[in-house]
Amino acid sequence: MSAALPIPVIQFLQVATVAVAAPGVSGVIARVEARMQGRRGPRLLQPYYDLAKLLRKEALAPEGASWVFLVAPLAAAACYLTVPLLIPVLTSYGLPLGYMGDILGGGFILALASFLVAVAALDTGSPYAQMGASRAKTFGAITEPVVLFVVFTVALVTGTDLPYALAATVRSSASQIVRPAHLLAAAALFMVILYETGRIPVETHTGTNEFGMIEEARPFEHSGPYFALLKWGSAMKQLILYTILLNVFVAPWGLAASTQAGAVVLAIVALLAKAAALGVVVAVIDNSFAKLRLFKITEFAAGAFLLAVLGVFTLYLGGG
Amino acid sequence: MLVVVLLLLCAPFAAALVSLRAPARIAQAVTAVTGVACFGLVLALVPAASHHDLAYLSYLRIDAVSVVFLLATSFLYGAVAVYSIGYLARSRDADPGFSRYCRRFYAGLNLFAWTMLAAPMMSNLALLWIAVEVTTVLSALLVAIEDTDGAAEAAWKYILIASAGLGLALLATIFAYYAGAQVLGTHYDLSFGPLLQAGGRLPHTPVRLAFVLAVLGFGTKMGLVPVHTWLPDAHSEAPTPVSALLSGSLLAVSFYAILRYYQVAVAALGPRFPRDVLLAFGVASLLLAALYLFDQRDVKRLLAYSSVEHMGILAIGVSFGVPIALAGVLLHVLAHAAAKGNAFMGAGVLVRKFGGKRISAIGGGLDLLPWSGPLFGIAVLALCAMPPFGIFRSEFEIVQGGFAASSNAAAAVLIVLVTVAFLGLSITVNRMLLVSRADGQAAALSRGEPSTWMVVPVVAGVVALLVLGVHPPAELTGLLTRAVHQLGAAA
Amino acid sequence: MSAVAAPSVYAGGASVIAVGVLLAEFGMFRQALLRDQVRLYAAQSALISVLAVLVAAARHLPELYVLGALSAGLKVVIVPVVLRRLLRGIGRDGADPDAGPGWTEIAGSGSLSLASTVLLAIAVAAFGFFAVGAMGIHSPVLPPIALSISVSVALVAFVLMIMRRDVASQAIGFLAMENGISLTALVVAAGMPLILEVAFLFDLLVAVVVFELLIRVHHGRADSLSTADLTRLRG
Repeated sequence: MSAALPIPVIQFLQVATVAVAAPGVSGVIARVEARMQGRRGPRLLQPYYDLAKLLRKEALAPEGASWVFLVAPLAAAACYLTVPLLIPVLTSYGLPLGYMGDILGGGFILALASFLVAVAALDTGSPYAQMGASRAKTFGAITEPVVLFVVFTVALVTGTDLPYALAATVRSSASQIVRPAHLLAAAALFMVILYETGRIPVETHTGTNEFGMIEEARPFEHSGPYFALLKWGSAMKQLILYTILLNVFVAPWGLAASTQAGAVVLAIVALLAKAAALGVVVAVIDNSFAKLRLFKITEFAAGAFLLAVLGVFTLYLGGG
Repeated sequence: MLVVVLLLLCAPFAAALVSLRAPARIAQAVTAVTGVACFGLVLALVPAASHHDLAYLSYLRIDAVSVVFLLATSFLYGAVAVYSIGYLARSRDADPGFSRYCRRFYAGLNLFAWTMLAAPMMSNLALLWIAVEVTTVLSALLVAIEDTDGAAEAAWKYILIASAGLGLALLATIFAYYAGAQVLGTHYDLSFGPLLQAGGRLPHTPVRLAFVLAVLGFGTKMGLVPVHTWLPDAHSEAPTPVSALLSGSLLAVSFYAILRYYQVAVAALGPRFPRDVLLAFGVASLLLAALYLFDQRDVKRLLAYSSVEHMGILAIGVSFGVPIALAGVLLHVLAHAAAKGNAFMGAGVLVRKFGGKRISAIGGGLDLLPWSGPLFGIAVLALCAMPPFGIFRSEFEIVQGGFAASSNAAAAVLIVLVTVAFLGLSITVNRMLLVSRADGQAAALSRGEPSTWMVVPVVAGVVALLVLGVHPPAELTGLLTRAVHQLGAAA
Repeated sequence: MSAVAAPSVYAGGASVIAVGVLLAEFGMFRQALLRDQVRLYAAQSALISVLAVLVAAARHLPELYVLGALSAGLKVVIVPVVLRRLLRGIGRDGADPDAGPGWTEIAGSGSLSLASTVLLAIAVAAFGFFAVGAMGIHSPVLPPIALSISVSVALVAFVLMIMRRDVASQAIGFLAMENGISLTALVVAAGMPLILEVAFLFDLLVAVVVFELLIRVHHGRADSLSTADLTRLRG
């Protein structure tokens, strides 16, 4: 158990962990939510079975859809597989490919994936898909600046914009967690995560509600393996965002400090446990609040914007 | 002197307590006696304050500047107390609600005058703020005492805007404490005397911040543009005696607060910055008020805008900074109190006679009111700086000061705008007094005064204006000289 | 760029509480029910009292314990009770027995949408932040961020008062502004003699009572709390 793993293996494990564990996190959230409602709920591994079933099905494309419709799920999945290389998933030290892009780059790639899916939805000509895409991008006009401000907070606190550096700073002393900028940025990021993963109070994840769909509506016209790719992609996005929140802001402990195999395995387990815990929190929120009416989502996004802006202000004036 | 000061503090409060319990006539008599007595007490203070500052009980500090403002307040208190005997005499025994109205009115009037008399005597910036805040709440209740929609609206606007402004003034007090604590230690209790003496050693930024916030905050209560928006409403909807006190005395007390911060600011920052700030606000107030005077439909609102104009003149006068301008400013405080009080009291008679505040309903005043008509006209002319009345003398001194301080542009602007205001006021008053109403309703109204009680204070006011204008008494001049020295000594 | 140094635990904690006060202020924009606004005001006042106790403990200023207790008693207990009594009583003793209590009345909406109002308030708060921050006034007891926050709270309360369209919300906005000012006093004037601070508190109580009276007068005349028809006096 004390064998040192070669660095490329660790890098590959980062991507693999995210890819493999992502549907599981969705499964955990669904089950916990059902249990809270007094139902038995689906199996924890149900999303895997769903993906397997979808891969076996036939893929159809609407008339008039172009190559964008077919390429977008693949490209989005590729983006989602790239981002885990850039953020601290398993290790507390930077990995070689991790310097390809900083946290801003990671944010850009995530936004690119979202954009591709939206363009594919527009390409279909279907009213529901187009509606979902346009809503997602409209609200995204407020939530993307929030992400930027959160990135600025990271940059101001550590003097760099590498997410590894912030994780190290936070681990260094308890006073780092108490500073208002940190808490505000974490809260703002959490609200953006709720929006990006389509949870209450932005959208209902269980069942389709045509008039309220945002994220859910975009893959409406895809089917078969492409649909499986999109579902898997959105699950990966969820886990990636959870990882950023947990390993950079809230709980950057449990990351492997060395290349020992034991430490890496421990890091994988720690990541899954933390992600599951956050999933439980999201499930509790799902069951506690009602979905916001569509025009009130701007208030929600404005609230996240407020938190992020205040975080940057407190840093500018010192003492934050 | 301690006895005088204590009586001055206790008498109006006692009168308020009496008014709460006693029947209407007794309350009226007690209030009138207290008002005139307070004026007498303040007159007794004048010789003492001309020579040295008085300090008692560690919370009272009376210097020459305070006595000037005490004179303005107490004179109007006495005049208004006598005037209200006639004002409230209308339906004395008719309805039972009247005695309750009377009790509230007199209790409120006495308490209001009490706080306005207490404010210039406070030695402590915090107590000064508290006194001004209490005048706000009391006067808001008095504005709302009439049972009309307009009064309710005016009272709400007044208390909201004035309280917000006083919040800014509280911020100013806090920053003044901060500045003082840097030099005098953390147990500094916001006393004014030590702060003034520490003048040059105070840190600049907090004092600058405190001064600007004080001008904005207390300026809200004083009626400086652009935070004057409550003033026309409140002064027109209040009962006439209260309007007279509001315009003549309350604005002056707020100005007193600004003057104290001005003294500290000049001692700490030098004369340039405070004077520029006051000049900006003063010119804005004068300009806006002069323009608004043209299109008024309500006589009391007209007089309220005239108050804004005069407050602007006061601010401009202080910004000139030379001794003659400051002397003019202080004399203007006294003369404006008398003249505005007269004008409001005369307007009240007109309103009572013609049954409404609308200017279009009032006409031929000179014929129908043998005493009040001409007296009202004289009061308005005095407001427009007509010689030989007091305001002419004070404005002349201010303009003289402006030229002496080489602020020629500002002085010229002042002269032009005062003339514009004169035009605005006189057109309207002309219509009210000289031109008979077109619809011939004047025939239905009989010639004669509604009440003698409403004429006597106005006569007293006009006499006071004449005295101030023609030949101010020697004691008063001595007092003013000492006050100017105190204000200007910091320059 | 260089990193911003981390504050001490005390400074960080105090800053967090101060930021909480500012967030409560922004939260008042969101609350539509008067009842929720009053509760949020009570929460904001409680945060300020907690901060006063924290400063007293960390900076050895025993007077602030008394001040914290008094301001908690007044602003967290008495003032909300007064407001609640006022709002519950409105409408009951009128001629119309079906008029509901004002406690659950929805505040009048302003001219701008909520999101736009919040963005405007953020701009105003930013102005307050940077204007005060540029002045370089150093507080002896709290980090400099606290002064900027307190002035921003007062400024945002002004926006709240302007944007609201009913008298009760405007009154609560005024009380929130006063909260901002008392936070400023805590930051800059923590050593002020206790008697003066207590005098300010009681003065606030007097103001609240008078506000209550005038709200009753307004409601008595207009039968609602809205300021929509307060347009009689113009020019």
